[in-house]
Amino acid sequence: MVGKNCFAIASDRRLGVQLQTIATDFQRISKIHDRLFIGLSGLATDSQTLYQRLVFRHKLYQLREERDMKPETFASLVSALLYEKRFGPYFCQPVIAGLSDEDKPFICTMDSIGAKELAKDFVVAGTAGESLYGACEAMFKPDMEPDELFETVSQALLSSVDRDCLSGWGGHVYIV
Amino acid sequence: MTKQHPAWSPYDNNGGTCVAIAGADYCVTAADTRMSTGYSILSRDYSKIIKLADKCVMASSGFQADVKALQKLLAARHLIYQHQHNKQMSCPAMGQLLSNTLYYKRFFPYYSFNVLGGLDNEGKGCVYTYDAVGSYERVGYSSQGSGSTLIMPFLDNQLKSPSPLLLPAQDAVTPLSEAEAVDLVKTCFASATERDIYTGDKLEIVVLNKDGIHREYMELRKD
Repeated sequence: MVGKNCFAIASDRRLGVQLQTIATDFQRISKIHDRLFIGLSGLATDSQTLYQRLVFRHKLYQLREERDMKPETFASLVSALLYEKRFGPYFCQPVIAGLSDEDKPFICTMDSIGAKELAKDFVVAGTAGESLYGACEAMFKPDMEPDELFETVSQALLSSVDRDCLSGWGGHVYIV
Repeated sequence: MTKQHPAWSPYDNNGGTCVAIAGADYCVTAADTRMSTGYSILSRDYSKIIKLADKCVMASSGFQADVKALQKLLAARHLIYQHQHNKQMSCPAMGQLLSNTLYYKRFFPYYSFNVLGGLDNEGKGCVYTYDAVGSYERVGYSSQGSGSTLIMPFLDNQLKSPSPLLLPAQDAVTPLSEAEAVDLVKTCFASATERDIYTGDKLEIVVLNKDGIHREYMELRKD
Protein backbone atom coordinates (compact mmCIF):
# COMPACT_ATOMS: atom_id res chain seq x y z
CA MET A 1 0.00 0.00 0.00
CA VAL A 2 1.18 3.46 -0.90
CA GLY A 3 1.58 6.40 1.50
CA LYS A 4 3.20 9.82 1.31
CA ASN A 5 6.81 9.24 0.21
CA CYS A 6 6.57 5.77 1.74
CA PHE A 7 5.07 2.36 1.17
CA ALA A 8 4.09 -0.66 3.23
CA ILE A 9 4.31 -4.31 2.23
CA ALA A 10 2.79 -6.95 4.46
CA SER A 11 2.06 -10.67 4.52
CA ASP A 12 0.92 -13.38 6.90
CA ARG A 13 3.29 -15.99 8.37
CA ARG A 14 1.51 -19.27 7.60
CA LEU A 15 3.00 -21.89 5.31
CA GLY A 16 0.66 -24.76 4.58
CA VAL A 17 -0.12 -27.55 2.16
CA GLN A 18 -3.85 -27.24 1.63
CA LEU A 19 -5.37 -27.69 5.09
CA GLN A 20 -2.19 -28.74 6.86
CA THR A 21 -0.04 -26.04 8.45
CA ILE A 22 3.69 -26.65 7.96
CA ALA A 23 5.18 -23.53 9.51
CA THR A 24 3.90 -20.52 11.38
CA ASP A 25 6.91 -18.23 10.98
CA PHE A 26 7.31 -18.22 7.21
CA GLN A 27 9.01 -15.25 5.54
CA ARG A 28 7.08 -14.43 2.38
CA ILE A 29 8.58 -10.98 1.87
CA SER A 30 12.20 -10.62 0.77
CA LYS A 31 14.48 -7.66 0.35
CA ILE A 32 16.09 -7.00 -3.01
CA HIS A 33 17.85 -3.85 -1.86
CA ASP A 34 17.21 -1.19 0.82
CA ARG A 35 14.34 0.43 -1.06
CA LEU A 36 12.88 -2.55 -2.90
CA PHE A 37 10.90 -5.53 -1.55
CA ILE A 38 9.10 -8.44 -3.13
CA GLY A 39 6.43 -10.66 -1.60
CA LEU A 40 5.79 -14.03 -3.22
CA SER A 41 2.63 -15.99 -2.43
CA GLY A 42 1.84 -19.38 -3.90
CA LEU A 43 3.88 -22.59 -4.21
CA ALA A 44 6.81 -22.09 -1.81
CA THR A 45 9.37 -24.02 -3.89
CA ASP A 46 8.61 -21.89 -6.95
CA SER A 47 8.70 -18.72 -4.82
CA GLN A 48 12.16 -19.62 -3.53
CA THR A 49 13.49 -20.56 -6.97
CA LEU A 50 12.12 -17.38 -8.47
CA TYR A 51 13.55 -15.33 -5.61
CA GLN A 52 17.01 -16.88 -6.12
CA ARG A 53 16.90 -16.09 -9.85
CA LEU A 54 15.81 -12.53 -9.11
CA VAL A 55 18.63 -11.98 -6.62
CA PHE A 56 21.07 -13.43 -9.14
CA ARG A 57 19.86 -11.14 -11.92
CA HIS A 58 19.90 -8.15 -9.60
CA LYS A 59 23.52 -8.85 -8.59
CA LEU A 60 24.53 -9.05 -12.25
CA TYR A 61 22.77 -5.74 -12.84
CA GLN A 62 24.61 -4.15 -9.87
CA LEU A 63 27.99 -5.32 -11.19
CA ARG A 64 27.34 -4.07 -14.73
CA GLU A 65 25.57 -0.79 -13.90
CA GLU A 66 27.14 -0.03 -10.48
CA ARG A 67 23.75 0.98 -9.05
CA ASP A 68 20.57 -0.57 -7.67
CA MET A 69 17.65 -1.42 -9.90
CA LYS A 70 14.71 0.98 -10.10
CA PRO A 71 11.43 -0.59 -8.93
CA GLU A 72 9.90 -0.19 -12.42
CA THR A 73 12.87 -1.98 -14.00
CA PHE A 74 12.70 -4.75 -11.42
CA ALA A 75 8.98 -5.26 -12.04
CA SER A 76 9.69 -5.69 -15.77
CA LEU A 77 12.44 -8.19 -14.92
CA VAL A 78 10.06 -10.25 -12.76
CA SER A 79 7.43 -10.09 -15.48
CA ALA A 80 9.92 -11.25 -18.12
CA LEU A 81 11.18 -14.14 -15.97
CA LEU A 82 7.61 -15.28 -15.32
CA TYR A 83 6.61 -15.06 -18.98
CA GLU A 84 9.63 -17.18 -19.97
CA LYS A 85 7.70 -20.01 -18.35
CA ARG A 86 4.44 -19.13 -20.14
CA PHE A 87 3.36 -22.74 -20.62
CA GLY A 88 4.69 -24.21 -17.38
CA PRO A 89 4.53 -21.30 -15.04
CA TYR A 90 5.94 -20.68 -11.59
CA PHE A 91 2.89 -21.08 -9.36
CA CYS A 92 3.27 -17.79 -7.54
CA GLN A 93 1.82 -14.34 -7.46
CA PRO A 94 4.38 -11.62 -6.75
CA VAL A 95 3.78 -8.27 -5.07
CA ILE A 96 6.54 -5.73 -5.70
CA ALA A 97 6.95 -2.53 -3.71
CA GLY A 98 9.78 -0.03 -3.97
CA LEU A 99 10.81 3.56 -3.54
CA SER A 100 12.38 5.47 -6.43
CA ASP A 101 15.43 7.73 -6.03
CA GLU A 102 13.04 10.68 -5.63
CA ASP A 103 11.18 8.83 -2.80
CA LYS A 104 8.21 8.17 -5.07
CA PRO A 105 6.54 4.89 -4.07
CA PHE A 106 5.90 2.18 -6.66
CA ILE A 107 3.70 -0.89 -6.16
CA CYS A 108 2.76 -3.65 -8.54
CA THR A 109 1.37 -7.17 -8.61
CA MET A 110 1.36 -9.87 -11.26
CA ASP A 111 -0.30 -13.15 -12.09
CA SER A 112 1.75 -16.32 -12.40
CA ILE A 113 2.69 -15.61 -16.04
CA GLY A 114 3.80 -12.04 -15.51
CA ALA A 115 0.87 -9.80 -16.49
CA LYS A 116 1.60 -6.62 -14.53
CA GLU A 117 -1.07 -4.76 -12.62
CA LEU A 118 0.18 -1.30 -11.67
CA ALA A 119 -2.03 0.48 -9.16
CA LYS A 120 -1.73 3.89 -7.56
CA ASP A 121 -3.21 2.96 -4.17
CA PHE A 122 -2.85 -0.69 -3.13
CA VAL A 123 -2.36 -4.16 -4.57
CA VAL A 124 -3.16 -7.57 -3.09
CA ALA A 125 -2.29 -11.19 -3.90
CA GLY A 126 -2.87 -14.66 -2.56
CA THR A 127 -5.65 -16.71 -0.99
CA ALA A 128 -7.07 -13.82 1.08
CA GLY A 129 -7.04 -11.52 -1.97
CA GLU A 130 -10.74 -10.80 -2.06
CA SER A 131 -10.98 -10.16 1.70
CA LEU A 132 -8.00 -7.83 1.38
CA TYR A 133 -9.62 -5.94 -1.46
CA GLY A 134 -12.66 -5.32 0.72
CA ALA A 135 -10.66 -4.23 3.75
CA CYS A 136 -8.19 -2.03 1.80
CA GLU A 137 -10.91 -0.43 -0.29
CA ALA A 138 -12.70 0.64 2.90
CA MET A 139 -9.64 1.69 4.92
CA PHE A 140 -7.27 3.27 2.36
CA LYS A 141 -6.72 7.03 2.34
CA PRO A 142 -4.33 8.82 -0.03
CA ASP A 143 -1.08 10.39 1.24
CA MET A 144 -0.82 8.67 4.63
CA GLU A 145 2.20 9.25 6.86
CA PRO A 146 4.27 6.14 7.80
CA ASP A 147 2.67 5.66 11.26
CA GLU A 148 -0.88 5.81 9.94
CA LEU A 149 0.05 3.64 6.95
CA PHE A 150 1.44 0.98 9.29
CA GLU A 151 -1.78 0.96 11.34
CA THR A 152 -4.00 0.78 8.24
CA VAL A 153 -2.05 -2.01 6.57
CA SER A 154 -1.83 -4.04 9.77
CA GLN A 155 -5.54 -3.72 10.52
CA ALA A 156 -6.48 -4.62 6.93
CA LEU A 157 -4.16 -7.65 6.96
CA LEU A 158 -5.29 -8.97 10.34
CA SER A 159 -9.01 -8.67 9.70
CA SER A 160 -8.66 -10.22 6.23
CA VAL A 161 -6.59 -13.26 7.20
CA ASP A 162 -9.06 -13.98 10.02
CA ARG A 163 -11.68 -14.64 7.33
CA ASP A 164 -9.38 -16.87 5.26
CA CYS A 165 -8.73 -20.46 6.41
CA LEU A 166 -5.46 -20.64 4.46
CA SER A 167 -3.85 -17.52 5.94
CA GLY A 168 -2.99 -16.41 9.43
CA TRP A 169 -0.57 -16.88 12.33
CA GLY A 170 0.27 -13.19 12.53
CA GLY A 171 2.01 -11.09 9.96
CA HIS A 172 5.11 -9.25 8.80
CA VAL A 173 4.78 -5.56 7.96
CA TYR A 174 7.56 -3.53 6.35
CA ILE A 175 7.35 0.26 6.15
CA VAL A 176 9.87 1.94 3.86
CA MET B 1 -27.05 -43.73 -29.12
CA THR B 2 -29.26 -41.02 -27.72
CA LYS B 3 -28.57 -37.46 -28.69
CA GLN B 4 -26.55 -35.51 -26.14
CA HIS B 5 -28.45 -32.43 -25.03
CA PRO B 6 -26.65 -29.38 -23.77
CA ALA B 7 -26.52 -29.36 -19.97
CA TRP B 8 -29.42 -27.47 -18.45
CA SER B 9 -29.37 -26.13 -14.95
CA PRO B 10 -32.39 -25.28 -12.82
CA TYR B 11 -30.29 -22.64 -11.06
CA ASP B 12 -28.98 -19.18 -11.96
CA ASN B 13 -27.02 -16.73 -9.86
CA ASN B 14 -28.46 -13.24 -9.79
CA GLY B 15 -25.81 -11.83 -7.44
CA GLY B 16 -26.39 -9.19 -4.83
CA THR B 17 -25.10 -8.45 -1.37
CA CYS B 18 -26.94 -8.26 1.97
CA VAL B 19 -25.78 -6.90 5.31
CA ALA B 20 -27.50 -6.75 8.70
CA ILE B 21 -26.32 -5.19 11.96
CA ALA B 22 -28.01 -5.60 15.34
CA GLY B 23 -27.81 -2.91 18.01
CA ALA B 24 -29.16 -2.57 21.55
CA ASP B 25 -32.62 -1.38 20.46
CA TYR B 26 -32.49 -1.35 16.67
CA CYS B 27 -31.59 -3.47 13.66
CA VAL B 28 -30.22 -2.23 10.34
CA THR B 29 -30.73 -4.47 7.32
CA ALA B 30 -29.37 -3.48 3.91
CA ALA B 31 -28.99 -4.82 0.40
CA ASP B 32 -28.14 -3.43 -3.01
CA THR B 33 -30.89 -3.30 -5.65
CA ARG B 34 -28.99 -4.71 -8.64
CA MET B 35 -30.16 -7.98 -10.20
CA SER B 36 -27.76 -9.50 -12.73
CA THR B 37 -27.05 -12.67 -14.63
CA GLY B 38 -23.52 -13.27 -15.87
CA TYR B 39 -22.23 -9.98 -17.27
CA SER B 40 -25.74 -8.55 -17.87
CA ILE B 41 -27.81 -6.39 -15.58
CA LEU B 42 -31.47 -7.46 -15.49
CA SER B 43 -32.67 -4.66 -13.21
CA ARG B 44 -31.18 -1.68 -11.39
CA ASP B 45 -34.13 -1.33 -9.04
CA TYR B 46 -35.02 -4.73 -7.62
CA SER B 47 -35.61 -4.86 -3.87
CA LYS B 48 -34.04 -7.84 -2.09
CA ILE B 49 -35.50 -6.95 1.30
CA ILE B 50 -38.99 -7.95 2.34
CA LYS B 51 -40.91 -7.47 5.55
CA LEU B 52 -41.95 -10.87 6.89
CA ALA B 53 -43.57 -9.65 10.13
CA ASP B 54 -43.91 -6.39 12.07
CA LYS B 55 -40.48 -6.83 13.66
CA CYS B 56 -38.75 -9.01 11.10
CA VAL B 57 -37.25 -8.38 7.65
CA MET B 58 -35.33 -10.70 5.35
CA ALA B 59 -32.65 -9.76 2.82
CA SER B 60 -31.80 -12.45 0.26
CA SER B 61 -29.28 -12.83 -2.54
CA GLY B 62 -28.64 -15.77 -4.84
CA PHE B 63 -31.20 -17.05 -7.35
CA GLN B 64 -34.10 -14.61 -7.31
CA ALA B 65 -36.69 -17.12 -8.60
CA ASP B 66 -35.94 -19.35 -5.60
CA VAL B 67 -35.95 -16.29 -3.34
CA LYS B 68 -39.39 -15.31 -4.66
CA ALA B 69 -40.72 -18.83 -4.02
CA LEU B 70 -39.23 -18.78 -0.53
CA GLN B 71 -40.71 -15.37 0.25
CA LYS B 72 -44.13 -16.54 -0.94
CA LEU B 73 -43.97 -19.66 1.21
CA LEU B 74 -42.88 -17.73 4.31
CA ALA B 75 -45.67 -15.18 3.78
CA ALA B 76 -48.22 -18.00 3.53
CA ARG B 77 -46.86 -19.71 6.65
CA HIS B 78 -46.94 -16.40 8.51
CA LEU B 79 -50.57 -15.81 7.49
CA ILE B 80 -51.54 -19.22 8.88
CA TYR B 81 -49.62 -18.43 12.08
CA GLN B 82 -51.54 -15.17 12.47
CA HIS B 83 -54.87 -16.94 12.06
CA GLN B 84 -53.94 -19.62 14.59
CA HIS B 85 -52.30 -17.43 17.25
CA ASN B 86 -53.84 -14.04 16.57
CA LYS B 87 -50.46 -12.28 16.71
CA GLN B 88 -47.40 -11.49 14.61
CA MET B 89 -44.56 -14.01 14.55
CA SER B 90 -41.50 -12.99 16.58
CA CYS B 91 -38.14 -12.68 14.87
CA PRO B 92 -36.57 -15.70 16.66
CA ALA B 93 -39.61 -17.79 15.63
CA MET B 94 -39.32 -16.60 12.04
CA GLY B 95 -35.61 -17.46 12.23
CA GLN B 96 -36.41 -21.06 13.13
CA LEU B 97 -39.15 -21.25 10.50
CA LEU B 98 -36.78 -20.03 7.80
CA SER B 99 -34.20 -22.65 8.83
CA ASN B 100 -36.79 -25.45 8.71
CA THR B 101 -38.13 -24.20 5.37
CA LEU B 102 -34.66 -24.23 3.85
CA TYR B 103 -33.77 -27.64 5.27
CA TYR B 104 -37.04 -29.10 4.01
CA LYS B 105 -35.48 -28.81 0.57
CA ARG B 106 -32.11 -30.18 1.69
CA PHE B 107 -31.60 -32.24 -1.51
CA PHE B 108 -32.94 -29.67 -4.00
CA PRO B 109 -32.16 -26.47 -2.13
CA TYR B 110 -33.44 -22.96 -2.53
CA TYR B 111 -30.38 -21.23 -3.97
CA SER B 112 -30.71 -18.28 -1.64
CA PHE B 113 -28.39 -16.71 0.90
CA ASN B 114 -30.37 -14.93 3.56
CA VAL B 115 -29.91 -12.65 6.50
CA LEU B 116 -32.83 -12.07 8.79
CA GLY B 117 -32.90 -8.84 10.78
CA GLY B 118 -35.35 -7.80 13.45
CA LEU B 119 -36.11 -7.20 17.08
CA ASP B 120 -36.42 -10.06 19.57
CA ASN B 121 -39.04 -10.42 22.33
CA GLU B 122 -37.13 -8.00 24.62
CA GLY B 123 -36.86 -5.41 21.85
CA LYS B 124 -33.14 -6.03 21.28
CA GLY B 125 -31.76 -6.10 17.76
CA CYS B 126 -31.20 -9.59 16.35
CA VAL B 127 -29.57 -10.90 13.19
CA TYR B 128 -29.78 -14.47 11.91
CA THR B 129 -27.47 -15.60 9.15
CA TYR B 130 -28.06 -18.68 6.97
CA ASP B 131 -26.55 -20.94 4.37
CA ALA B 132 -28.63 -22.31 1.48
CA VAL B 133 -29.73 -25.45 3.36
CA GLY B 134 -30.82 -23.83 6.60
CA SER B 135 -27.82 -23.96 8.90
CA TYR B 136 -28.21 -20.77 10.94
CA GLU B 137 -26.78 -18.74 13.78
CA ARG B 138 -27.78 -15.68 15.77
CA VAL B 139 -25.04 -13.08 15.41
CA GLY B 140 -24.41 -9.39 16.04
CA TYR B 141 -23.80 -8.60 12.38
CA SER B 142 -23.51 -10.51 9.14
CA SER B 143 -23.12 -10.19 5.39
CA GLN B 144 -24.24 -12.60 2.67
CA GLY B 145 -24.05 -12.78 -1.10
CA SER B 146 -21.57 -11.93 -3.82
CA GLY B 147 -19.85 -9.08 -1.95
CA SER B 148 -19.78 -10.79 1.45
CA THR B 149 -16.08 -11.69 1.21
CA LEU B 150 -15.25 -8.01 0.68
CA ILE B 151 -17.50 -6.69 3.45
CA MET B 152 -17.12 -9.29 6.22
CA PRO B 153 -13.49 -8.54 7.21
CA PHE B 154 -14.26 -4.84 7.38
CA LEU B 155 -17.26 -5.44 9.64
CA ASP B 156 -15.08 -7.68 11.84
CA ASN B 157 -12.58 -4.87 12.08
CA GLN B 158 -15.11 -2.17 12.91
CA LEU B 159 -17.49 -4.13 15.15
CA LYS B 160 -15.26 -6.75 16.84
CA SER B 161 -18.01 -8.99 18.17
CA PRO B 162 -17.07 -11.25 21.10
CA SER B 163 -16.10 -14.83 20.21
CA PRO B 164 -19.06 -17.26 20.27
CA LEU B 165 -16.83 -19.65 22.24
CA LEU B 166 -16.59 -17.36 25.29
CA LEU B 167 -18.17 -18.53 28.55
CA PRO B 168 -20.47 -17.15 29.85
CA ALA B 169 -22.00 -16.24 26.49
CA GLN B 170 -21.60 -12.56 25.61
CA ASP B 171 -24.20 -10.30 24.08
CA ALA B 172 -23.65 -10.18 20.31
CA VAL B 173 -25.15 -6.72 19.76
CA THR B 174 -22.84 -3.99 18.50
CA PRO B 175 -22.03 -0.91 20.58
CA LEU B 176 -22.77 1.52 17.75
CA SER B 177 -25.62 4.02 17.72
CA GLU B 178 -28.28 3.66 15.04
CA ALA B 179 -26.94 6.55 12.94
CA GLU B 180 -23.37 5.16 13.16
CA ALA B 181 -24.56 1.72 12.05
CA VAL B 182 -26.36 3.19 9.04
CA ASP B 183 -23.19 5.13 8.10
CA LEU B 184 -21.08 1.97 8.46
CA VAL B 185 -23.41 0.07 6.13
CA LYS B 186 -23.14 2.86 3.55
CA THR B 187 -19.33 2.76 3.73
CA CYS B 188 -19.33 -1.04 3.35
CA PHE B 189 -21.44 -0.97 0.22
CA ALA B 190 -19.56 1.95 -1.34
CA SER B 191 -16.36 -0.13 -1.01
CA ALA B 192 -17.87 -3.44 -2.13
CA THR B 193 -19.37 -1.77 -5.21
CA GLU B 194 -15.89 -0.71 -6.33
CA ARG B 195 -14.69 -4.34 -6.64
CA ASP B 196 -17.79 -6.53 -7.07
CA ILE B 197 -19.60 -6.37 -10.41
CA TYR B 198 -22.73 -7.94 -8.93
CA THR B 199 -23.16 -5.17 -6.36
CA GLY B 200 -24.24 -1.66 -7.27
CA ASP B 201 -26.91 0.73 -8.59
CA LYS B 202 -28.66 1.53 -5.33
CA LEU B 203 -28.48 0.66 -1.65
CA GLU B 204 -31.69 -0.02 0.25
CA ILE B 205 -31.47 0.29 4.02
CA VAL B 206 -34.27 -0.88 6.31
CA VAL B 207 -34.07 0.29 9.92
CA LEU B 208 -36.18 -1.43 12.57
CA ASN B 209 -36.54 0.12 16.03
CA LYS B 210 -39.15 0.66 18.73
CA ASP B 211 -40.79 3.40 16.63
CA GLY B 212 -41.38 0.94 13.80
CA ILE B 213 -39.78 0.46 10.40
CA HIS B 214 -38.38 2.90 7.85
CA ARG B 215 -36.55 2.56 4.55
CA GLU B 216 -33.89 4.82 3.10
CA TYR B 217 -31.86 4.71 -0.11
CA MET B 218 -28.38 5.68 -1.26
CA GLU B 219 -27.13 5.79 -4.84
CA LEU B 220 -24.23 3.45 -5.70
CA ARG B 221 -22.01 3.16 -8.78
CA LYS B 222 -23.94 2.04 -11.83
CA ASP B 223 -21.07 0.50 -13.86
